[in-house]
Amino acid sequence: MIHMAGVSKIYASGLVALDDISIAIEKGDFVFLVGPSGAGKSTFVKLLFREELPTSGTIYVNGRDVAGLEPSEVPYLRRGLGIVFQDFRLLPNKTVYENVAFAMEVIEAPRREIQKRVNHVLDLVGLRHKARTYPAHLSGGEQQRVAIARAIVNNPAVVIADEPTGNLDPDTSWEIMKIFERINKNGTTMVMATHDKMVVDGMKKRVIAIEQGRIVRDQEGGQYGYEN
Amino acid sequence: MRIRTFEYFVREALSSLRHNGLMSIASVSTVALSLLILGMFLIMVLNLNHMASALESQVQISVYLQDNLGDRDMREVGTRITKIPGVVQVTFVDKDEALTRFKQRLGEQQGLLAVLGDTNPLPNAFEVKVDKPESVKPVAQAVAQLKGVENARFGQEIIEQLFTLTRLIRLIGLALIIFLALAALFIIANTIRITVFARRKEIGIMKYVGATDAFIRWPFVIEGMILGSAGSLIAVFLLVEAYTVLTEQIYQKLVFLPLIPKYPFLNYISILLVVAGTIIGALGSTISLRRFMKV
Repeated sequence: MIHMAGVSKIYASGLVALDDISIAIEKGDFVFLVGPSGAGKSTFVKLLFREELPTSGTIYVNGRDVAGLEPSEVPYLRRGLGIVFQDFRLLPNKTVYENVAFAMEVIEAPRREIQKRVNHVLDLVGLRHKARTYPAHLSGGEQQRVAIARAIVNNPAVVIADEPTGNLDPDTSWEIMKIFERINKNGTTMVMATHDKMVVDGMKKRVIAIEQGRIVRDQEGGQYGYEN
Repeated sequence: MRIRTFEYFVREALSSLRHNGLMSIASVSTVALSLLILGMFLIMVLNLNHMASALESQVQISVYLQDNLGDRDMREVGTRITKIPGVVQVTFVDKDEALTRFKQRLGEQQGLLAVLGDTNPLPNAFEVKVDKPESVKPVAQAVAQLKGVENARFGQEIIEQLFTLTRLIRLIGLALIIFLALAALFIIANTIRITVFARRKEIGIMKYVGATDAFIRWPFVIEGMILGSAGSLIAVFLLVEAYTVLTEQIYQKLVFLPLIPKYPFLNYISILLVVAGTIIGALGSTISLRRFMKV
């Protein structure tokens, strides 16, 4: 599903964010990316959806050569991915329903399909009853659940989450992780960069630790391994 | 493009216009003002052109013949004039006809002619029309050389002054029109840039969920086109009203001033301005989007 070979990323400032990374993440995997701040987790995640280009090496996501894509092909790469951010990134002037439907409207899905899918994913994250609510009236956990609903509404093969519980309290974080687990059980690959020790230790999934741009640990059923 | 998608674009454009209500009003008025001035100059330049060419076409050479010529000699002079390059029309005006015309021109004062009794002091003449104003002078000189011609007259200075004036006005008008079109373009580009900036979060999300650049661009382009065409419609409305009043006033007071009639002239101007406004709007938003699209 995700294959990296000899990937390095050196920013224009000279900062080496990733140094010769090679990794394989298979379909249905649930992977935590852990490591100290500035170790390269964010860069790793951004390379997957072509927010950044690698300085060298090859990246395959969903069978696409990410680094070799024409700019005009990038939208089609992203349609196969669901992306969740720490700060939710919901549109304040759209309701919960509209925020989720938006992801399908922009890829020109038929209206009936949109209705069906949006209601389905809102059920999945337990927010069907808040469909007409605006984000400002939701708690942080609820907003993140809307963002997750939006990320999965187009049935992506991979969900990429960058610190999705960073702004949430432990109970809410745990709820969010249960939702991710359910999504993963349906066959969706999960890649999640996190600082959340409780989440990583509790979930017992594959853990990839990055330090100074290199993979220092890749362990099935791993622990967070750092003191917060 | 699906019809539903197009509806979506228009809906987004309209909601964005509503959202930035004040800014939208401001840019519609600036566009209206620019296009109004542009339209005013266009109408002015075209009218001056019209007047100039009306006057230019009226300029003709009067060729007066010597009094002692017979019919054959006069015909001979006529054919020779016709052969001069630049001549398009030669009309013979015999002395009787000249007198009748003169009487008509005098109107109520034609009693003055009674002193002439039965004599007619006017010469036989040819009226010569030429293909372009530049030809008047050389043709007149050539005609004056012909045997049997007393003299050849034309309004030389008027023509030459008119000539420089129209050229100058055309040039200034063109420069102003280009300048104002650029100003309108700049204003719309700025307005769209503000709405794009206000919606950069939304654009970012659209990119993350896989919207194509074209899809993201369209609502803004439509918004720009709405701004541009709305502004141009206001400008057209004001111009039509103003021109109507102006032509009525001028027809009443200055009968001889040859203004271009309202129809179909104003229709063309209106279509031109609306098309220009819409294109300027679309172009303006394309310009301001170009930088924002790189996410």
